[in-house]
Amino acid sequence: MILSSIVFLPLLFALIVAVWPNAKTLRHLALGLSVIEFLLSLVVLQQFDSSSASLQMVEKFMWIERFGIQYFMGIDGISLWLVMLTTFLTPIIILASWTSISEKVKGFHVCMFILQTAMLGTFLAMDAVFFYVFWELALVPMYFMVGIWGGARRIYATVKLFIFTFAGSVMMLVAIIYMMYLTQEATGHMSANLLDFYKLKIPFVGGTFFSLQTLLFFAFSLAFAIKVPAFPVHTWLPDAHVEAPTPGSVILAGVMLKMGTYGFMRWVIPLFPEASEYWAWLFMLIGTVGIIYGALVAMVQPDVKKLVAYSSVSHMGYILVGLFAFNAYGMTGGLYQMLNHGISTGALFILIGMIYERTHSREISKYGGLAGVLPIFTIFFFIVTLSSIAVPMTNGFVGEFMILLGTFKAQPAFAYFAVTGVVLGAVYMLWMFKRVFFGPQGELVKDEHHPLHDLNAREIVVLVPMVIMVFWMGLFPNNFLNYSKASIDFLVNNKNNYNLTIATPGSAETTTTQAAQGGN
Amino acid sequence: MNMTIGLSDILLVSPMIALFLASLIPLTVKVLRGNREQNPIVTLTQGLLGIVIAIALLAVFGGAGKTAFNNGLIFDGVTQWISVIALLAAGASMIMMYENPATTGKQFSELIFLAMSSAVGMLILVAAVDLLMVFIGLEMMSLALYLMIAMSHEEKLSKEAALKYFVLGSFASAVFLYGVAFIFGSTGGTNILSFMENAAELVQTSRLFLFGIAFVILGFCFKVSIAPFHAWTPDVYQGSPTPHSAFMATAVKAVSFAAFLRIIATKSLVGSDHLFDILQWLAVITMIVGNTAAILQNNLKRMIAYSSVAHSGYLLIGVITAGVSENGAFGASGVIFYLLSYALMTLGAFAIAGMMEKSESHIVNIDDLAGFAKNRPMLALCMTVFLLSLAGIPPTLGFFGKFYMFNAAIGEGLLWLAIWGMISSVIGLYYYLRPIVVMYMKEGEAEIAPRSLNATTVAVVVMAVAIVLMGFVSGPLFTAVEKSLL
Repeated sequence: MILSSIVFLPLLFALIVAVWPNAKTLRHLALGLSVIEFLLSLVVLQQFDSSSASLQMVEKFMWIERFGIQYFMGIDGISLWLVMLTTFLTPIIILASWTSISEKVKGFHVCMFILQTAMLGTFLAMDAVFFYVFWELALVPMYFMVGIWGGARRIYATVKLFIFTFAGSVMMLVAIIYMMYLTQEATGHMSANLLDFYKLKIPFVGGTFFSLQTLLFFAFSLAFAIKVPAFPVHTWLPDAHVEAPTPGSVILAGVMLKMGTYGFMRWVIPLFPEASEYWAWLFMLIGTVGIIYGALVAMVQPDVKKLVAYSSVSHMGYILVGLFAFNAYGMTGGLYQMLNHGISTGALFILIGMIYERTHSREISKYGGLAGVLPIFTIFFFIVTLSSIAVPMTNGFVGEFMILLGTFKAQPAFAYFAVTGVVLGAVYMLWMFKRVFFGPQGELVKDEHHPLHDLNAREIVVLVPMVIMVFWMGLFPNNFLNYSKASIDFLVNNKNNYNLTIATPGSAETTTTQAAQGGN
Repeated sequence: MNMTIGLSDILLVSPMIALFLASLIPLTVKVLRGNREQNPIVTLTQGLLGIVIAIALLAVFGGAGKTAFNNGLIFDGVTQWISVIALLAAGASMIMMYENPATTGKQFSELIFLAMSSAVGMLILVAAVDLLMVFIGLEMMSLALYLMIAMSHEEKLSKEAALKYFVLGSFASAVFLYGVAFIFGSTGGTNILSFMENAAELVQTSRLFLFGIAFVILGFCFKVSIAPFHAWTPDVYQGSPTPHSAFMATAVKAVSFAAFLRIIATKSLVGSDHLFDILQWLAVITMIVGNTAAILQNNLKRMIAYSSVAHSGYLLIGVITAGVSENGAFGASGVIFYLLSYALMTLGAFAIAGMMEKSESHIVNIDDLAGFAKNRPMLALCMTVFLLSLAGIPPTLGFFGKFYMFNAAIGEGLLWLAIWGMISSVIGLYYYLRPIVVMYMKEGEAEIAPRSLNATTVAVVVMAVAIVLMGFVSGPLFTAVEKSLL
């Protein structure tokens, strides 16, 4: 029951928050509840058997019998850390929004908890329709978050966000229904169970565009690519980020974008192995273009939040390239980079939110010389910047390094271009850092009527866990990678016959042996 | 022809009899009191009581696939489900009539009488398997509605709406009757059951019969507002008092689609590729026209009206699916399930639009919703549920309605229709989001009308909760519908 608990407890929390009568203690309550949720997810981590590639802690029963749709949840090395990332970021976000969200506080926390349920459900659902329900549900609270607490052009941004992502996913729904009929043809009974989907042998005839596998592959890929967001369907993201309130940006960059890359790992690659391999060049190209394009556009942004938003396009490009390298390095790097991006970009958005609260401006040109005025803020910003540009010993380095290594092994040509992104990333981040923190003091910084105060205790408490993660993940990556190694090896070795099994207590060994055999 | 009427016939039609008798009560009381209106709440209670009794009788005697009156009426799963949907919609609309400024007043007893007579017509229409019976049901339902719309005080728009509805409705009936004549000419009978077995063959061999079926279908296309025969819909829905619009958009649509299903169940589509092709294109055109036109609307009621046109397009996909499959039950249950979800959300949306009307001539625009979420958080939340459900966002009932119906379509090889359906849902999303944007994200003073609107509020909340909760148990519900059709 542990997985159901962590998925649906936030929904209960949302109800509790909604009926909570005391406005003053509302934030404390929400923070407490989100910490409980995090502690509960630590239990999942503790119970997780890292040596097994099978689905663990499975909960399964028939939900809609007529169509073989199941209530089916399970966790493996691929979803584990994304779940942890979600539960880890939520309390931080709630604490970070302590003063920045001052209106409709109750509604905000209700949205936050519903969103948490939807995201965790997306990562844990193992039934296509069940997954789709969570996938779409996540849009609704996000829509309200940007639309109600966002900036001046929030309505444009939020409608664009909703329609872009909804448009992407409807074709996925058609594909899901189609695959349900394919299982009916193959097994005699309809099913939306992902494990049944994995067993389908979907025809792939010579890579022609109209082979069934290719069509289904693109129906799914479009949905995920928009969520990632991959070039050229990324345009909703900068708008959404700029208009979103700080917590919205953090959850968007931190977790929601990962729903897209996770989708590629969990659905697209194992379900459509031949098509994925055939079209890998396309997605590596899209990823590479995204890396360079995102970096170049980030470089010329006058608005620091927009800069970070475009840097997301660049970073998510890496993840895409890594996944489509189809080797253990690339995949592991891709997964690790999902977490890194969640931590470092999340922290960057929080930091930008903090300075915005003080000055009500995000324009780089109005800053300058912040380092002298806000030393603590500067130190935190510097550490996160280093993580974002992947300096060794930080988390970003491990992920980018592995991705590039994997890409060199698979497609050196793309790797040459992708590497330039590393340099460009350093350029735009450090240049921005220089302009904001050094040099002569800008008009906002030396404003005598509004002297700037350095970070207070609450803000430091928000940032410290993020910084700890930056170094922990950078210095001891194996602490994290060990948990997902078995699952990723299994995916890489059995890509063409991804026969994921459900772990029964005591059978973990047999599964890993199977994985090893499959690789030979 | 050997015509005997037994007790079983009477029992089967007892819901209609009960409804009709109940409809007479308010009128009788009024006459006995010297033409003085009784307390409207009493009138309403009498009407609702009739509906409850009718539903109870339906539950007891309905179903089981029996025919009555010499195969004139059939009482199967479709009859039972659609009758219940129509009666519930009638009940909800009557509650709205009680509280809407345009429909309360001196003639409330007459209004309730007409609404219930219309419901009697609906029950006949749903159950009819003889084309002449279909016609009788259709006319009885429509005549009462023409009067209802025209009756609302001295409101210019509603007179215009009544006239428009009357002229176009009569035209549709005429087209339908014309088709029936052709069918009679070619088969020598008007009973659907009698030509059901060989309709697929007849369509190919007899041009007369093909014309007949085509005209009958055309008549229904008018009634359920399939583009390009939908032009009356937005005008009539906008011009009528809101409770009437809700009644027409849900109950009338549900029963008309039920009758449509009966025609389609003759498998004439399987025999004629032309009819099949044309209907598919009509479905696509309807979805696109309805959705794109709704984007341009400012008037809330008009927007919902266009959205109801779009939903007719989705429903037509289900009807086609039922028509081409070996066993039509899957497609037909998709249609019924969709109608159920559609009725709940459209009634809800119209109810909230109606609650905001401060006087008979008050027009509610989408921009008038600004600030609604702040002033009426509960109702705004309900409206959001209705709109998201209409747009087909999970986990609402509206999503499952679309899912099941498109599932049936894909199962019958109508993949391209399902894809068109999905594409139009994306277009539709744009205008469903607009009221939500205005309610939650714009400052304003939107309020509901300062009348006692407790009954409608209760109905709205019940519907919103039902839409969310029924989403989770939609599976068993769908199975129940399907089982009753087999």
